[in-house]
Amino acid sequence: MTALAVTRATLTRVLRDRTALFFMVLLPVAIIVVIGVTVSGFDQFRIGLVPVGRTGPVAQELASELRSAPGLRTRTYDSAADARTALRRAELDAVVVVPAGLDAEVRAGRTVAVRVLVEPTGSAGHGAVSSVSAVVAGHAARLQAAAFAGEQTGGTFDGNLALARGAEQASAPLVVQAQTVNGESDYLPLGYSYSTPTMLVLFVFINALAGGAAIVATRRTGVYARALAAPVPARALVFGETVAYLLLAVLQSLLIVAIGALAFDVTWGDPLAAGVLITVWALVGTGAGVLAGALFRTPEQVHAVGPALGIGLGMLGGCMWPLALVPDWLRTAGHAVPQAWAVDAWTTLLSRDGDLSAILGDLTVLAGFAVALVTLASLALRHRLVTSPGS
Amino acid sequence: MNAPAGNPAAVLDCAHLVRRFGDRTAVDDVSLRIAPGETYGLLGPNGAGKTTTIRMACGLLRPDTGTVRVAGLAVTTAAGPAKKLIGFVPQDVALYPDLSVRENLRFFGRLYRLSRRALERRVDEVLDLIELRDRAGDRVDALSGGMRRRLNIGAGLVHSPTLLVLDEPTVGVDPQSRHAILESVTRFGEEGMAVLYTTHYMEEAERLCDRIGIIDRGRLVAEGSPRELVALVAERDRVRLSAVGDLASYADACRGMARVEGTARTGDHGEVVELVVKDARSLLPDLLDLAHDQQVDIRSVEIDEPDLEAVFLHLTGTALRE
Repeated sequence: MTALAVTRATLTRVLRDRTALFFMVLLPVAIIVVIGVTVSGFDQFRIGLVPVGRTGPVAQELASELRSAPGLRTRTYDSAADARTALRRAELDAVVVVPAGLDAEVRAGRTVAVRVLVEPTGSAGHGAVSSVSAVVAGHAARLQAAAFAGEQTGGTFDGNLALARGAEQASAPLVVQAQTVNGESDYLPLGYSYSTPTMLVLFVFINALAGGAAIVATRRTGVYARALAAPVPARALVFGETVAYLLLAVLQSLLIVAIGALAFDVTWGDPLAAGVLITVWALVGTGAGVLAGALFRTPEQVHAVGPALGIGLGMLGGCMWPLALVPDWLRTAGHAVPQAWAVDAWTTLLSRDGDLSAILGDLTVLAGFAVALVTLASLALRHRLVTSPGS
Repeated sequence: MNAPAGNPAAVLDCAHLVRRFGDRTAVDDVSLRIAPGETYGLLGPNGAGKTTTIRMACGLLRPDTGTVRVAGLAVTTAAGPAKKLIGFVPQDVALYPDLSVRENLRFFGRLYRLSRRALERRVDEVLDLIELRDRAGDRVDALSGGMRRRLNIGAGLVHSPTLLVLDEPTVGVDPQSRHAILESVTRFGEEGMAVLYTTHYMEEAERLCDRIGIIDRGRLVAEGSPRELVALVAERDRVRLSAVGDLASYADACRGMARVEGTARTGDHGEVVELVVKDARSLLPDLLDLAHDQQVDIRSVEIDEPDLEAVFLHLTGTALRE
């Protein structure tokens, strides 16, 4: 297959190009880290924990539950004054003061108030209070159960508390799952679960677009014209280049998936669905890149326009910030570009545990984009090679 | 002009090629044939239609009318088999600059579906031929301009073509590399390869080509060996003999020779005999013998022959490099 000779040459050239590898691997990872750190914690409140005096098992259990609550990021302070200072500096969203003598008060059957301090100007304070209240309420329910059991059947408080804890674990709990939602009831992915797939979408597309510059450069060297003097039809050259850039896009996707999973603990969801999504998105990028390679006249034009276009489409399509945060009209406009559908599909896979059927609609739209772009690109490049192969 | 009657087993047979771009006729009824082992030069100024002609000859451009056959295979209808026989060397270096010398040769060899073993053997042979074996692992963009030119030619040779088409391969090349390229082309012809060579350098055409076609404004205006072409416009050469002795008698004796059409004594002291002759080169031994017989001491000989530049001027009314 002469087309494979073209594929082989292109892969060799790109994989040997340090600049290309920088854009293919290092830059996406750097941006993933930056955006991941920036948006991480949007779903976690920063809580200062102040245990006052010597604490017993009940207070320690409460502190432990606050620390392990998924919506809270806690830091323990030695004194309430230090915690207040951190709160005033906006380093915390709330401070939880575990009262001295909590164990004794509870064992005596008296009501105990757990103080939660918030900064009146802070926007996250009330949300933090709600999250803390949920944890405290769960803890209080067990204490109440232990106290009730003691009143009805006797026994020690610690023994009844252990029974209550066991009963809670044995019974199927009715849980409330708190999620941040937007106007269209889409879940809002945050942290690396947001930045990693969106950077995959962004950079696979940008990198494929930039690949168009290599096609333009090859056109201008006259290699295609010379190849056409061999027994090689133009469609074989087009096919060879398309396969090369598709493989590169898939390779880049797999690298980002691997780095996301290993370095940032990103769970990519259903493997089959993720694989299909990666392949379809790689086809979208390949089509765009080959089209750029056919339409632009110089590599410099591709370098000037390609990344700017890719970033613009990425911004519009929700790669820089969740479309859930933008007005309705902008969200609608965003879905004019394929990036939005790809981000939607990844959100479904990563944040809603979706499978292939759950993203079928997004995939269908993306497949439409892919078919249109690859077809258009193939025709345009073939036309260019046949009519003016050396330009 | 009509297709010349030539070797029926022509490697390249172009008949009545016409190609128009919009209102402009780039190639107008061009016919040419190249026999095995023959080097054919297509000589003409920039824009004369040379590149368009060879693009049609290589199957890169479909003629509006006319046919191209390579070893009897029509390039338009049997493109695959016909193109396998052609080695095309474009005017500009057409290589991957970021691949090595060897990788480029392999790439072009793969386009001709050479087997792995045959490919490696031919790549080594071509590396030796273009004298780049020791630079085989270097990237093309690290080579000198002359080396790139040699590799550019080498890439057209990997598949052992029957017909080698070179489009102005020495444009912008330093004298040393140019000499090496011309030596190579001479060797290809000697080894039996048919060569179609376009140039606007008259001296290259004269040196390399068995036959030359002069193309101007898309038309092949003359064709033949370099001597035949020169003979078209001027059959007489001018010979200047600077000598010592009885030059009056010598001039009279020369006047009696069959191909001498005129004599004159020039020089400040009459020390030069000028002769107008037909085919000075073949007559020169007789002139020297006559001088020896008459005890005339010839000190220097100058022959003014009409050249292809003059031929082109005569045929087209324009200078070759305009």
